[in-house]
Amino acid sequence: MTQVSWPMFLMYCYFTAFVFIAGIYCILATRRLIRIMIGLELLTKGVTLLLIAVGYLMNNTGLTQALVITLIVIEVVVIATMGGIVLSVYRVHNSLESKYLRKLKW
Amino acid sequence: MPSLVILVPLIALLILNLPLGEVMRKASFWVALGFFIFQTVLLFCHHFRCICGSERFINSFFGMDVSVDHLSFMVMFLVNIVALTSLLVARHAIKDSDARFNFINLIVIASAGMNGVTVAKDIFSLYVFLEVTAVALFIAIALQREPRALEGAFKYILLSSIATVMMLTSIAVLFFAAGDTSFASLKSALQVSGKSPVLLAAIGVFICGLFIKGGLVPFHGWLPDAYSAAPAPVSVLLAGIVTKVSGIYTLMRLVAAVFGFKAAVCDVLLFGGTLSILVGAFAALGQKDFKRMLAYSSISQVGYIIVGLGTGTALGIAGAIFHFFNHAIFKTLLFVNAAAVEESTGLRNMNKMGGLSSRMPVTGATSVMALLSNAGIPPLAGFWSKVIIIIALWVSGRYAYAVIAILAAVVTLAYLLIMQRKVFFGNIRPELDGTKEAGPGYVIASVVLAAITVGAGIFFPYVFDHVIIPARSALLP
Repeated sequence: MTQVSWPMFLMYCYFTAFVFIAGIYCILATRRLIRIMIGLELLTKGVTLLLIAVGYLMNNTGLTQALVITLIVIEVVVIATMGGIVLSVYRVHNSLESKYLRKLKW
Repeated sequence: MPSLVILVPLIALLILNLPLGEVMRKASFWVALGFFIFQTVLLFCHHFRCICGSERFINSFFGMDVSVDHLSFMVMFLVNIVALTSLLVARHAIKDSDARFNFINLIVIASAGMNGVTVAKDIFSLYVFLEVTAVALFIAIALQREPRALEGAFKYILLSSIATVMMLTSIAVLFFAAGDTSFASLKSALQVSGKSPVLLAAIGVFICGLFIKGGLVPFHGWLPDAYSAAPAPVSVLLAGIVTKVSGIYTLMRLVAAVFGFKAAVCDVLLFGGTLSILVGAFAALGQKDFKRMLAYSSISQVGYIIVGLGTGTALGIAGAIFHFFNHAIFKTLLFVNAAAVEESTGLRNMNKMGGLSSRMPVTGATSVMALLSNAGIPPLAGFWSKVIIIIALWVSGRYAYAVIAILAAVVTLAYLLIMQRKVFFGNIRPELDGTKEAGPGYVIASVVLAAITVGAGIFFPYVFDHVIIPARSALLP
């Protein structure tokens, strides 16, 4: 395995943290369903990058590859399901604003 | 056996989707019914050690680390019982045959996922099976595309995904500490460097993720919405077993097998559990919607399980496992009753009902049993498990928690009696005069579940010695 220089790796870590924070901000700041989905996707991508970093540090890239590929497959399934639900919401309300999803209260 | 429990549902799924056209759609209910009964029989066969020796051959297909013990056996039995109930409810409650066929497929996928959760011995395969279960339920909640159900499904999917992200972050940190993802190596790594704050934070994040999945109080926002908005059979499945397997069972297993009963972990569990007991019980008092009230009651009862686990003593864990068993049975029964009432009257608002007991005798009678078990009235099963948990709290010196648990049990009785009085007791309302029992599926399901909850209460010593104590030995070697 080729070694990456330390500043390069640090930059990778900063980027991972940036993706993660961007995802959290995206979910908190927006009121649109599609953007919430994008935020979740960013969060999951951040975690994927974190797992890769851990695998690199542990020198165990084989196991990490298996984990990351499984993670990506499952994440696609979850996001596709969520997309289907958002699409149905759009068909019902003709809008993607999350304010329509506030009917359930006691 | 361990890999069979994942393989068998997948084979059933293949059989269900054989290209036979309309024939299979009509027969799908019976195929699924046969499959779940077969799976239950298979479990008992394994339990009595008479399965044939093909295990190694089948295991060679899976590169996973799986194993089955008494606790997994008990949980898989509950999965099958609740799935059978949900299937019987679906036969009446989902009218459209296409939607019913889709739901039956989803229930089989969810049962594969839950079986996987119960046998996984590797933190990453655990995550995979949790997601399989969750995705099947996301689709099932939104199955009929009603606006309310879509809202519940969206909230569930959002919070569940956030829980997943939290768990994966924690998995990455634990993986960094251990170099592997199996429970055994994680545990030894945590024993070596268990005091490190980073690892403690990772454990905390993981527990928070599981609290979201199990709907415990600071993170319970999605649960009443998803339970009350879902179609009747889906809420039976979701409330009866899915949140319990994906949140509570996983928490039990991980605390025992990986995190260990550290003081910090136990404090978090005790505090979260007690908060859930209180908030769930008081929120349930004010509900009008039948299913929403049951959802809050579910939060409160799950709190008892977590508190029992949080004592960290042998007695408390036995109580937690027993309450897990009881709660799965009687909460499923109450949701079946709610589904039957909704089916035959079309109502969910409890203020508009009254006196249904005279028109729906089986539903009324079984709901009284579930209520008494839920509220902890002797000699029903719920009494024993609650008493064990409270005694464990008292013996381990957590007097304040024990007192809160006792007082909350009184509130439990209060809100359940309010429900019973509004819905089933009293004189029949004139506009509900023509109401009948909703159908044979509901009657069979509620009678069987009521029989289990009464039987487990009366034969408590036998059940405790032969089911709960062996199951506990899986957590406390």
